Amino acid sequence: MQSASARPRAYLLLLPAAILLIVFMAVPYLNIFVISFRNPGQGTPYADGYTLLNYTRIFTSTLYQGQLFNTLWIGLVTTFITLVIGLPVAFQLGRADLRWRGLAYGIVLSPLLVGIVIRSYGWTILLGNNGVINRTLINLGVIEFPLPLMYNSLGIIIALVHVFLPFMILPIMSAVQSIDPALVSAARSLGAGRVTVIRRILLPLAMPGIQAGCILVFVLSLSAYVTPAMIGGLRVKTMAVTVVDALLDTFQWPLGAALALVLSAIGALIVVIFARATRMRWKVQ
Amino acid sequence: MTKVSITKLTKNYGPGIRAVDSISLDIPSGEFVSLLGPSGCGKTTTLKMLAGFESVTSGGIAFDGQDVVSVPPEKRDIGMVFQNYALFPHMTVRGNLAFGLEMRKVPKADMDRRIQATLDLVQLTPYADRYPRQLSGGQQQRVAIGRALVIEPRILLLDEPLANLDAKLREEMRVFIRDLQRRVGITTVYVTHDQAEAMTMSDRVVVMFGGKIAQQGRPGDIYDYPVSRAVAGFVGQVNLIDGKIVGVDSGIARVDTPFGPAEVKAGHRTEGDPVTLVLRPEAIDILPADAAGGVTASVVASYFSGAILDYTLALQDGQTVDVKTIARQRFEPGAQVRLAVDAHRFWPLEVG
Ligand SMILES: Nc1ncnc2c1ncn2[C@@H]1O[C@H](COP(=O)(O)OP(=O)(O)O)[C@@H](O)[C@H]1O
Ligand SMILES: [Mg+2]
Repeated sequence: MQSASARPRAYLLLLPAAILLIVFMAVPYLNIFVISFRNPGQGTPYADGYTLLNYTRIFTSTLYQGQLFNTLWIGLVTTFITLVIGLPVAFQLGRADLRWRGLAYGIVLSPLLVGIVIRSYGWTILLGNNGVINRTLINLGVIEFPLPLMYNSLGIIIALVHVFLPFMILPIMSAVQSIDPALVSAARSLGAGRVTVIRRILLPLAMPGIQAGCILVFVLSLSAYVTPAMIGGLRVKTMAVTVVDALLDTFQWPLGAALALVLSAIGALIVVIFARATRMRWKVQ
Repeated sequence: MTKVSITKLTKNYGPGIRAVDSISLDIPSGEFVSLLGPSGCGKTTTLKMLAGFESVTSGGIAFDGQDVVSVPPEKRDIGMVFQNYALFPHMTVRGNLAFGLEMRKVPKADMDRRIQATLDLVQLTPYADRYPRQLSGGQQQRVAIGRALVIEPRILLLDEPLANLDAKLREEMRVFIRDLQRRVGITTVYVTHDQAEAMTMSDRVVVMFGGKIAQQGRPGDIYDYPVSRAVAGFVGQVNLIDGKIVGVDSGIARVDTPFGPAEVKAGHRTEGDPVTLVLRPEAIDILPADAAGGVTASVVASYFSGAILDYTLALQDGQTVDVKTIARQRFEPGAQVRLAVDAHRFWPLEVG
């Protein structure tokens, strides 16, 4: 009886979020969707009338396809590397007997405390031909000529890994923290060694966090603008950079909108496939 | 079938934090032993050292004479049941049972047979393919017990396994576990702070206070012959009566009590020594005021709980006593009654 009358009021609590979502997400997306079918304008963002031209241009242009592919590639590789680096860190930080938890949190979060522009600029100092890394390696005699670390996908990936590492570590860490330590004891009493405990108990139970971390980092990498723009320069452009160019530099809103939507659609598709592939049956009622 | 020997086992969690203080205990093969004591007395720590989850500060643990102190938990071959069950949430009931067998690389056919036998044993066959969160508390508890037993461990350790169940289920599970343990015949150490649980289930009860063993013995002996106030009070309701020994005759001491003379074993005591006597509430008979014998008392309060009636009564000197009777004859508060006690129902405490 009580829950029947409590339900509608509970839904009311969602109203602010729903309004926010509709006004600031659905409406702009709809707008972008409509603009992507507009004719290109001259001196104006777009002209009257509708066309499929913007999409056919994308799917026939090797330039855009290359950029799209490269962006997805950068996203996947960045996600993979942050996972490989972040997973052990998160497992250590998630341990129940961790001392200095506050300090550990601080270290993980510290990259987020510095603005992204400054961090990316920091990476240009490190990665450039005359940068810290190359000069050190040359001085040490490891290499003769500078390694190409800037203005290519490798540099972008290195910087993105640094920038997005906290987004991988935090969800996994909190998932690990929520695992009952008695489960580890139980597994050990049943004959499992430390490695088996990680493989059979901790990893599967941390899966929700791993899933969340991977999706976060992948989506953030696809849509990253500042870091790829600063490190990729004019030579390597990710989709986000090209979209911004189309909107601001070349003033081709319909093309920019279409590019953004294609990237979003492919990204969403990959996320859905990933989520389904890593779906946890025990979580589903 | 494993015999467990614990010698002078001690655990310090840090300087000055002594959780377990030099306890020694021999558990014969197949025995069901309960560690009974208030929260914080070191029961869990003792169990964890037996299981290998906590390091031993000093002392020894041996299974069948073999020292296991430096053996890691996964090599000790123990079955452990945790208070919150600690079932693997990402595995079905069958998966939980299979885990320990997989660790032992049991062949598939053998594994299926043992899992099925255990499912039958803990009466969970219809739930084999459910996940733990799809089960009730009692069912989860049985999975936990099944998971510990399916590996046919040398010893079974249980840490307050019934604490999270409601009262009725708890009583059912007591019988279930005890019955199962008898059938399997496994050496069992059971940790609880519930004296009724320890009493009903165990072959032997080990009462612990402050990291030390206060007393160990058969449940009836602990109840009837406690060594200290603390033990007497922990294992049941008790009236403590202070008296003086008025005479010793061939090992039997006579003590004057408000209920008349008591006769207890003298031990090392001599005439004139003070002594504290334990008198269980059910050892006192309540008689109507006009009955012959006994001493006069008045009813202060009575608590009816079905089969049992609990009285608080005041003696003539103002001392209050608790009496437990079968609720056949009832006296209202304020009523005058007579209390009679057999001279042999008293028990002297070793320590004051
Ligand atoms: N990991 C630990 N670190 C420090 N002190 C502990 C730890 N575990 C238990 N203790 C202390 O040791 C004592 C015994 O604890 P425990 O064995 O859990 O008692 P019980 O199971 O009888 O309630 C308690 O005083 C408790 O605070
Ligand atoms: Mg405990």
